[in-house]
Amino acid sequence: MIEMIRRFVRQKFGSPGLAAALAIFAIIEIFTFANGAGRGGFVIVHWAIFVLAAGSVSRDISSGALQMILSRPIRRTEYLFGRYLGILASYGLFLAVTSALIFFVVHLAGRSAAADTSPLSLVLLAADVFLTGAFQAAILLMFSTFLPGIADLLGLLVLFIVLNLPPWQKTWLRNAAEAARENILPTVSWNEALRGQGILGAATGRWVFALTVYLVLAALIFSRRELPYGQD
Amino acid sequence: MIAVAGVSKTFGRFGARRVQALDAVTLQVRRGETLGLIGPNGAGKTTLLSCLLGFLKPDRGVITVDGKQPDDLSVRARTGYLPERLGFDRDLPGKAFLAFHWRLAGGAPRRAAAEVEAAADRVGLERPALARPLRGYSRGMLQRIGLAQALFHDPELLFLDEPASGTDPRGVALVRERILEAKARGATIVLNSHQLAEVEKVCDRVVFIDSGRLTKSETLRGDSATRRRGLVRVPATDLADAASVLSREGFESRADANGSLRFPVGSDDDMARAVSALAVAGVPVYEAKISAELEELFSGGAGA
Repeated sequence: MIEMIRRFVRQKFGSPGLAAALAIFAIIEIFTFANGAGRGGFVIVHWAIFVLAAGSVSRDISSGALQMILSRPIRRTEYLFGRYLGILASYGLFLAVTSALIFFVVHLAGRSAAADTSPLSLVLLAADVFLTGAFQAAILLMFSTFLPGIADLLGLLVLFIVLNLPPWQKTWLRNAAEAARENILPTVSWNEALRGQGILGAATGRWVFALTVYLVLAALIFSRRELPYGQD
Repeated sequence: MIAVAGVSKTFGRFGARRVQALDAVTLQVRRGETLGLIGPNGAGKTTLLSCLLGFLKPDRGVITVDGKQPDDLSVRARTGYLPERLGFDRDLPGKAFLAFHWRLAGGAPRRAAAEVEAAADRVGLERPALARPLRGYSRGMLQRIGLAQALFHDPELLFLDEPASGTDPRGVALVRERILEAKARGATIVLNSHQLAEVEKVCDRVVFIDSGRLTKSETLRGDSATRRRGLVRVPATDLADAASVLSREGFESRADANGSLRFPVGSDDDMARAVSALAVAGVPVYEAKISAELEELFSGGAGA
């Protein structure tokens, strides 16, 4: 598992293109905070999860890397959850570095009055974005076990659009859509929850349950997945 | 050791997209045996290899390795595998790639650096190349580093898919040496290759696959060899005399356009007897060798 996490982190931060994309996200975020526009929270870093998690399994299958890994005494679940934890580790590292840079830049620039950049506030903002990203990463991972390339992003987009269709006219349809949205794509106000407001509430429970379901689904699909390679 | 019983595999479900990649394939690979898979492109060789490695599940039939499923972890702990095209993380330096596979194969992390260098030396990969990312490697270098990782921990089971593909002549010889070394220590090897001359040099047995079916099996070595051809090249003017000398010794020969005679031989002694008879009869022998002539067999001229 540790090897899988290490490989993921190295894969992402070792790729010049990806590292550059993440750096651009961080720079934009820092400037946004330094100019006081980040008062309500991060504005762009949450997009990094899509850059980090897209095609996390499918691209390994198409390149043949997964077949090489699984020719070793490694369980499929070990690989899969190693991948997921790798996404979280990379994302966490990126958020930590970005938050630290925001803190130093804003305080060095003496513009701390423009936005709340106290260490606690930044940690809570980063945790909020991190937990939201962790949920999105689980969905992307699940789609990546059976969709090719970065079609997992498309899968997530379709899921989001379907669950956020305009309000239905009939009450029972509206209620059903609302229930589906709450259970399939639950949202939690982590900034408040982490301050102790409703941490054990229904929304958090739905979030944990849905996350578990996505990860279990990913494991089930992946354990049955065939891994063709090359040509006869 | 490896038992394949009635394995069939189909890709696609409907119409033209439906391809029967394997059709009731049955074969066994004994412990310590080197088996060559031979067949045209699209015959089903890689699909069979994928099934043997547990990457694909047969629609019908059973594959076992020492009585276990091919994807059993205890089987994989003893397996080395080289894919036809090494498509690993292209930004990863060669050294990190090998160290990763050393650790995945259960090697102690503290020994990784030394083992990586030793593995690179074994496949003739120069040290400076190890620091470069894989994206800068040539096809031949990728094959070499792929072979290096496959040989970690001296695996009992080796699955090699076109191991010498894209390598220079020195690389081809080096791949052959490593395969023969593995064979000498008793490894069971399944080799998929179009380089028939190399297959002949290392394999104990070959099976022919065409359109997903196992069409032929030939033993190339040992007392039970089924495919051994003697070849002698003599002056064109002496062909008829040479053929009658061989006929007297009990060898039914066939002449080809290059002034050579081909005939089945059972053992090395048979070949020595044939050459000796030609020499006694005063027929100059320019060249004499034993060959399985897989190329001829591959192109369908297996009558000799």
